[in-house]
Amino acid sequence: MKATTRVTGGRVLLYGFLISLLLVFALPLLWALSASFKDRADIFSYPPQPLPIPAVLDNYRTLLAEQPFWSWFVTSTLVALLSTTIAVGLCALAGFAFAKYRFRGKNVLFNIMFSSLAVPFAVIVVPLFIMIAKARLTEPYFALVVPWVAPAFGIFMMRQFAEQAIPDALLDAARMDGCTEFGLFRRVVLPLLRPALGALAVWSFLNSYNSLIWPLIVISEPGDYTLPLGIQALFGATGRQYDLVLAASVLAAVPSLLVFFLLRKQLLEGLTAGAVKS
Amino acid sequence: MTRTSSSTESWWSRHQVRLAPYVFVSPFFLLYGLFFVVPILVGLYLSGTEWAGLGAPQWVGLRNYQDLLADRSFWTAVGNTGIYVVFTMCVVVPVALLIAQALNARGLRGRDMFRLAYFMPVVISPIVITLVFGLFFEREFGIVNGVLRATFGFGGIDWLGDPLWAKVSVALLVIWRWTGYLTIFFLAGLQNVPRELYEAAAIDGAGPVRRFVDVTLPSLRPVTAFIGVTVLVNSAQIFEEPFLLTQGGPGESTLSVAMFIYRAGFQRQQLGYAAAAGVLLFAVVLVLGLLANRAFGVGRDHR
Repeated sequence: MKATTRVTGGRVLLYGFLISLLLVFALPLLWALSASFKDRADIFSYPPQPLPIPAVLDNYRTLLAEQPFWSWFVTSTLVALLSTTIAVGLCALAGFAFAKYRFRGKNVLFNIMFSSLAVPFAVIVVPLFIMIAKARLTEPYFALVVPWVAPAFGIFMMRQFAEQAIPDALLDAARMDGCTEFGLFRRVVLPLLRPALGALAVWSFLNSYNSLIWPLIVISEPGDYTLPLGIQALFGATGRQYDLVLAASVLAAVPSLLVFFLLRKQLLEGLTAGAVKS
Repeated sequence: MTRTSSSTESWWSRHQVRLAPYVFVSPFFLLYGLFFVVPILVGLYLSGTEWAGLGAPQWVGLRNYQDLLADRSFWTAVGNTGIYVVFTMCVVVPVALLIAQALNARGLRGRDMFRLAYFMPVVISPIVITLVFGLFFEREFGIVNGVLRATFGFGGIDWLGDPLWAKVSVALLVIWRWTGYLTIFFLAGLQNVPRELYEAAAIDGAGPVRRFVDVTLPSLRPVTAFIGVTVLVNSAQIFEEPFLLTQGGPGESTLSVAMFIYRAGFQRQQLGYAAAAGVLLFAVVLVLGLLANRAFGVGRDHR
């Protein structure tokens, strides 16, 4: 009671602070959105025009007509969906095993995995590329998926969540009823893990969808480009095609924002579950 | 728990409870070993060789490491990475805590909206973000200089072209991208603190500062530990921000260790040299991680 009614001045200050922060975080994205509807010449006009008046769709039209945007889009999205599906499935299985079974080697395996969270991607990137190149596995749908299929963080998240969300008694009851271990996983565990599955799915999708370094290394054919590569190519191209780049950026952000908004609750819950109660 | 094992049951169904965990973890560890453990071992081997990617690697022992220690670019990269790490720990983390504290205010409306909006930068592709920031920081047409010119009559800062300001630009980008992400962890931690603790402290006559030091900080211990370790480990591997915003420049003023590895491996074809730098980065990150673990007391909570 006291805290809510005490100082209205404090309230004003609080909302002022939070709203200005909101602007700071949102401004670059809103600016990009607005600029993507502007004429190339107007993008840099000063003072900056907040709204694109008159709004033109030319940037989008040119992008879709003259650039293989859809090909980039499809590659990025399919690769991200593929790696997410594999990662979520494998991490759910393994995370459940780490949370609810006792088996020899469990602690050793878990500790290896946990400490590997400290391995910088830059460290494995050179050898991984050599392996892929030597094995001639540079087919994009294989090469692009590889770094994301077995994320140690995913198991960590699943284990944390499974420990709290799955009561042992439920597992035992299902076993008594003659449920097999795999049936147990499919019918009892998976439904209970749903929030964690959602969180890991978003996390994994974004990692793959937004990645730049790895595609930059393994993909050399422009026909195989992912979205970030395509945008980079547009940007590096002659004359810096800001208008096209901005339109491509806005379109590229749609799937990640969509995934994020659809699964935001699970993502925030899942991410913080491991952190708060470790 | 005890299962009735009749002779009609198959071997699998009799042993499945014991064997299931192995079946469950093996697909993961198969891929993990192949695409993660093996590359680390390959990297260790490569770090002792000289190799441009063609022919057979030449074994040179520890020479790459000696060369690295004498390489000024490498030390520049180490210094820059150190600056990024210290900056993130000393600026980004406290700011995130401050914002979380504000978001946790009692009776706040629109908390979820604020939280989501602050988190948003993490969702957007880094190439898009750095592109927009690149335009903002543009010397002649950029909005930042434009606004500075309009308000202070001075806006000639060469944000991306001056060694010092380029570092500042990268730092600003780091703040923008990661503060909201850390905020959600602090906020989750704050929401777990029982209100009664604050009320009890208030009854004992503790002011806001006292309450923060005596109630908030101790309760946030597990979250702080998590954030501390994650931030340390992640900022020691910083790559995308300087790579995309300034390409490590001007000169090498924003070059990070991860960028140094990328440059050696993929632009200069010094694969062994890159691998050696990778091993050193790994070693340093691991040691920092363990130290942070100890300092923040994570180890005690883990089994």
